[in-house]
Amino acid sequence: MYAQDDMQDAKVSLSFSEDTDTKTITATVTDQNGLAAEEVELSFFVKRTFSLLKIGDGFNETDEDGVVEVAFPSDLPGDAEGNVTIIVKILDNDLYNDLSVETIKKWGVPTIINDDKDERSLWAAAANAPITLIISVTGMIFVIWFIILYIIFSFYKISKIKPLNL
Amino acid sequence: MRKIDIKQQKFETPREKDLLRHLISTSLKYKLWIGLLIAINLVGMYAYYRQVRFGLIVTAMRDYTSWGIYISNFVFFVAISLVGSLFSSILKLNNNVWAKPLIRVSEIIAVSAIICAAVIIIIDMGRPDRFFYVITHFRIQSPIIWDVIIISTYLVISFLLLFISILPDIAVCRDRLTEIPNWKKRFYRITAINWSNHPKQAERLNKVSKIMGIAVLPVAFAIHTVTSWLFATTWRPGWNSTNLGPYFVSGAFMAGAAAIIFAMYIIRKELKLHAYITEDHFDKMGRLLVLLSLIYLYFNINEYLGPAFKMVGIEGDQLSELFTGQYAIMYWFVQIGGLILPLILLMFKVMRKPFPIFLISLSVVLGAWFKRYLIVIPSLQHTYVPIQQVDESYLHYIPTWEEWAITISSFASLLLLITILIKLFPVIPIKSEEHDSETIVEPNIK
Repeated sequence: MYAQDDMQDAKVSLSFSEDTDTKTITATVTDQNGLAAEEVELSFFVKRTFSLLKIGDGFNETDEDGVVEVAFPSDLPGDAEGNVTIIVKILDNDLYNDLSVETIKKWGVPTIINDDKDERSLWAAAANAPITLIISVTGMIFVIWFIILYIIFSFYKISKIKPLNL
Repeated sequence: MRKIDIKQQKFETPREKDLLRHLISTSLKYKLWIGLLIAINLVGMYAYYRQVRFGLIVTAMRDYTSWGIYISNFVFFVAISLVGSLFSSILKLNNNVWAKPLIRVSEIIAVSAIICAAVIIIIDMGRPDRFFYVITHFRIQSPIIWDVIIISTYLVISFLLLFISILPDIAVCRDRLTEIPNWKKRFYRITAINWSNHPKQAERLNKVSKIMGIAVLPVAFAIHTVTSWLFATTWRPGWNSTNLGPYFVSGAFMAGAAAIIFAMYIIRKELKLHAYITEDHFDKMGRLLVLLSLIYLYFNINEYLGPAFKMVGIEGDQLSELFTGQYAIMYWFVQIGGLILPLILLMFKVMRKPFPIFLISLSVVLGAWFKRYLIVIPSLQHTYVPIQQVDESYLHYIPTWEEWAITISSFASLLLLITILIKLFPVIPIKSEEHDSETIVEPNIK
């Protein structure tokens, strides 16, 4: 209870710099009095289709000026214009409440995704399975289960044959 | 309740007595054996209760090693189940008369193994209650669906093959066995489906036996090929191989043949069937095992030589782990103890005598189980995508006691099923020949 009362809100401001080879995200953390927050662990992510991709080192801690720098990978796919969503979070900190800051940057590799979900393919939804696959698998299942049902029917016929002396 | 006096039981021939006596008398040894298997199963059930209660976190499976010993065990059981088709199809269609007494044992093992394989898949699921989602969210492009279809098909076929093989003898049990409990009499009466040795019945049974002998072969090849495709279609080193289908199928036939030899020895000893499962059977099975081992050795060389010659990238890392790393002891035991040494030893006639070949086949079966471990686990631990910033537990796989308990109890279940089926049905055909068109059929209803 006491720990929660002592928790305060931090502020994270992001700045971005780039030269020919590298792109760098600089995060500056200040406490509620505007003073630099030292030794605050930050997590850097890039939003992907299904989840967040973690970037940076294993531990990204602010220095005495409340600053931490993280290199941005140069080969991450973005949208058609190269936009990527960068998210910086404070998670499970002893002094500061959880926080998430989100910025869109044109730092990704422009990627045009062919929306082929309506085409028949192995990776499409069930309803769009390739016709050849449907025919071949169904054909094989039909043939083998026809034989199985014939065998079961034969057992039925065997059971109906009366003994000779009756 | 009617008092049963085993001594009152009459048999028509000594052969009938030899082959049916174990159905009516139950020894203390048998009861202790059943008790032991049930006790092991109870421990396994407790471990499974914990797994369902707390989730798959009680296992050592994590994001990378997401298939552990459950799936190794599943592949092993599917492999063993192929032995049914080896006898009911390959050997039968090639007129190997010597193998006829072993058809039923092979079918009993096949049925038991495929049941255990199906169950172990459910056990591997974190949420077994969602099993039917596989059907309701049916997606024909998924190799998992192909596997579900082919396993259920092979399960039904194995039951039918066993039934075809034992039907005339169930009728003998129904007609001859008087000193058995009423439930057993009712059981034989129902399962004998009015079999009366009528020539028309024999003709029909012979026909379905031939049809099944042919039909089972593509299904048997498909079941283990599709199982291999579960791996081949997953992007991991060691599985990116066009060799995987025949590699799995040939390994399965070898493991199955060894399992049959193992079972033959125990059944022969415990049921005192020395006159029916002879040294000649062991000798021929030994020769067959040599042939199957040679084929498997050929596919093993294909599987490892190419990548080992190059030793590049993550494939090279994975192979180094197998050849000289943390899996080296297991790998060389599997290759030498489970394949090369049995192959060499069985070339000598003296090693094809019942006891030596029993020990050799035990080594082959153990090697076959650990081989499946080596196929599944090291490949999963080597990913093409870099492993970064993950929990330490993701990097290693050491099965927990729950996994071992469940795996050992699945073996106990396999042995329990085999034991019960052997206790219910004669393991060797009571007629000296299996039912076929050459057999003279006489009605025995008086």
